[in-house]
Amino acid sequence: MKAIFKQVALFHGLDDSQLDHLIEISHKLTYHQDDIVFEQGSAGDALYIIADGQVGVKVNDTDGDSYVALYLGKGQVFGEMALIDQGTRSATIIAAEDHTEIYRISTQDFITLCTQRPDIGYILMRNIAQDLSFKLRHRSAD
Amino acid sequence: MIYKVSYVVKDGDFPGGIRNETERPMVGSLVKIGPRTFEIIEIHEMMPPRDGFQFLHALVAEPSEAKSSADSYF
Repeated sequence: MKAIFKQVALFHGLDDSQLDHLIEISHKLTYHQDDIVFEQGSAGDALYIIADGQVGVKVNDTDGDSYVALYLGKGQVFGEMALIDQGTRSATIIAAEDHTEIYRISTQDFITLCTQRPDIGYILMRNIAQDLSFKLRHRSAD
Repeated sequence: MIYKVSYVVKDGDFPGGIRNETERPMVGSLVKIGPRTFEIIEIHEMMPPRDGFQFLHALVAEPSEAKSSADSYF
């Protein structure tokens, strides 16, 4: 599991002992194709890291239409926006492949860790900001 | 090195994707985005590399479209 986390940009800059704290609060989930991870509008109570497979980021627009706006694969993080702004989910996440493996970290556990260990919290928050920047650049190019 | 790649589909008729690769993607390689397979037709650096991560942007197209696009150079 540590080998997987070392390949995730969200965690880069963390040493082995810092990663151990994250591993303690991470829970592995496996999804089949078309399984819903969470739905747009629901409460944001966790962030997720894709260990294997792909998910579709599906958005319902104001006209009632829905479309997949983006596919996220190995090493990507989702659900972090609600963690930062306390808002509801901005999209529905659907597994796009069988055996999609995802690690879930609850918002409460994440915030507690960042509060108790600001050295870890600083790195995670910096990396979340950089991940959001990357996604914005992707969107600009799309 | 881990390559974090933003894949964008040419002409925007299909959503792109983001994922990590353990090998640097190459022009001409095939990549699966959601249920469909595309061919990489262009790659460039999106952000400066940092601590073992490279951040790349890859433009992809349908394999047949990529071929005809390449043919048009001749």
